[in-house]
Amino acid sequence: MSVHEIEILKRALAREKLARKTAEDILETKSAELYELNLQNKQANEKLASLIKVKNSELKGFFENIIDAYIMMDLSGNVLKMNKAAEALLGYKLSEGILNLQSLTQEKDSDLVSASFQTLLQNGKITNFEVNLITQNNILKLVSINSSVIYDEHQKAIATHGILRDITQIKQLENQKEQLLHELEKSNENLQEYAHVVSHDLKSPLRSIDALVAWIQEDNKEHLKESSLAHFQLIEKTLEKMENLITKVLSYSSLGANMQRTENVDVDALLHRLLKVMYVPKHVQIQVLNTLPSLTGDEVKLEQLFQNLIGNAIKFNDKTQGIVKIAVVDKRDFYEFSVSDNGIGIEEKYFDTVFKIFNSLQKRKDSSGIGLSMVKKIVELHQGTIWIESELQKGTTFNFTLKK
Amino acid sequence: MKGIIFTEFLELVEEKFGLMMVDDIIEKSNLVSGGAYTAVGIYEFSEMLQLLQNLSKNTKLTIDDLLLVFSEHLFKALIKSHPNLVAHYKDPMNLLASIENHIHVEVQKLYPDAQLPTFEMVEKTPTKMVMIYKSDKALYVLGKGLMEETFKLFKVKGEITYRKIKEDGTEVEFTIIKS
Repeated sequence: MSVHEIEILKRALAREKLARKTAEDILETKSAELYELNLQNKQANEKLASLIKVKNSELKGFFENIIDAYIMMDLSGNVLKMNKAAEALLGYKLSEGILNLQSLTQEKDSDLVSASFQTLLQNGKITNFEVNLITQNNILKLVSINSSVIYDEHQKAIATHGILRDITQIKQLENQKEQLLHELEKSNENLQEYAHVVSHDLKSPLRSIDALVAWIQEDNKEHLKESSLAHFQLIEKTLEKMENLITKVLSYSSLGANMQRTENVDVDALLHRLLKVMYVPKHVQIQVLNTLPSLTGDEVKLEQLFQNLIGNAIKFNDKTQGIVKIAVVDKRDFYEFSVSDNGIGIEEKYFDTVFKIFNSLQKRKDSSGIGLSMVKKIVELHQGTIWIESELQKGTTFNFTLKK
Repeated sequence: MKGIIFTEFLELVEEKFGLMMVDDIIEKSNLVSGGAYTAVGIYEFSEMLQLLQNLSKNTKLTIDDLLLVFSEHLFKALIKSHPNLVAHYKDPMNLLASIENHIHVEVQKLYPDAQLPTFEMVEKTPTKMVMIYKSDKALYVLGKGLMEETFKLFKVKGEITYRKIKEDGTEVEFTIIKS
């Protein structure tokens, strides 16, 4: 072998050695990288595994502890899973045999049920589907079902699950409520009619008595003593008061539970019209402190409302200079009105009773005991409330709200 | 450039022209690596260019002819080290059509720093494909050789022609016809 050849071989060998060394270094680094990566993977896997464990236990807890019945079904309607609440609701246990949607539903509901099952599969969910289910001991239970489809990782439907809520009692209560409301409406109507008839019927004998008394007086004009004539006058006044009372009862009963007319009422104009026709004694001064607003309501009833309150303020005023103030404050959804006087005042213990029918605190011939109960009814018809502030001898304020 | 290209190239040179030729082209080139290549390493493309130029000078063969011969050898080596990549395909057309979207994707995963040419599909029928090769290495002749080897592997006859879009060969249109 020539020196030249030996040189070539030596160089080739040196290159091979160097290449091997480089390769070894590269592989060493790579394997260290791989080891590191593997370690990271392991840690990530452990983390995932523990996360899955936590999620599983969360789900299990959720599944077992929700109060509502939970059911999982396959796509043919076979029940795969149910929680304790579902077992209690339906009376079945999966450990005791297979359970299918068909066996839970009535024959007559089968079309409805399969249609909703199709909707569920198509839309992925159904909400508030109400259907009667037959329990194991043959009792019908009305349930409301909220259900959704479970998909696999390729978005293929694999099962359905849902929450069943027993609404049998709720439905019964709802029906009862409706029935009661209907009955109440009817009895209200009857009552109104009754009050109407009664007051008419009561008035006609009163008129007869009035006429008869007048005839007796007329016939015996010369024979009657002064005191008897005075008694006859008292009878006439009493009759008049009675008739007045009956008229008020009639108007109270015909107020009804609903507003007959709702329109935009200019309360300011209404009040000034009213003050022109009302009798206001000379010693009483009426002050309207603001311009009153317009609101939606029943004009006739609103007039009755102010007439009664202002009338009371005048009636129960014992001061030499009586003052009645009317004011309003604009509150967000409603107006707060006040009618205040410097009259005799009301004791706090009577604040509630004054609004009750026939509860006049003073036996006065011009007080029927109906006015304030009518006022309260009118305020409530306008979705408002009424309350009293008062101090004996100093005066009374009636505050009330009316919805805008 | 991947070390396997260098090791396979030098192996071929040794096989065809002897160890002396290998030593000579390495000594005549100015190589950072010193000519000590390993398949798992990565080396400058300029080293391959110098080796090719010196080999061409010594053998009086054109670089393109050398590349064609090399492609035959390289193909066999590639198939040997990655047999499952090819087992996937039943037809050379399918394999060639998948270079960009499958084979190179896998290669990139394996060697994140690999600089791969791109093959943009312009036309594709079961019997004809037109692809645009793009690479700053301008090794389109090597590409053509590898394509021809693919047809040979599947024992299917085909014709591969090319047209340079850029004069320096960094962008070349390949037309592949299966007959």
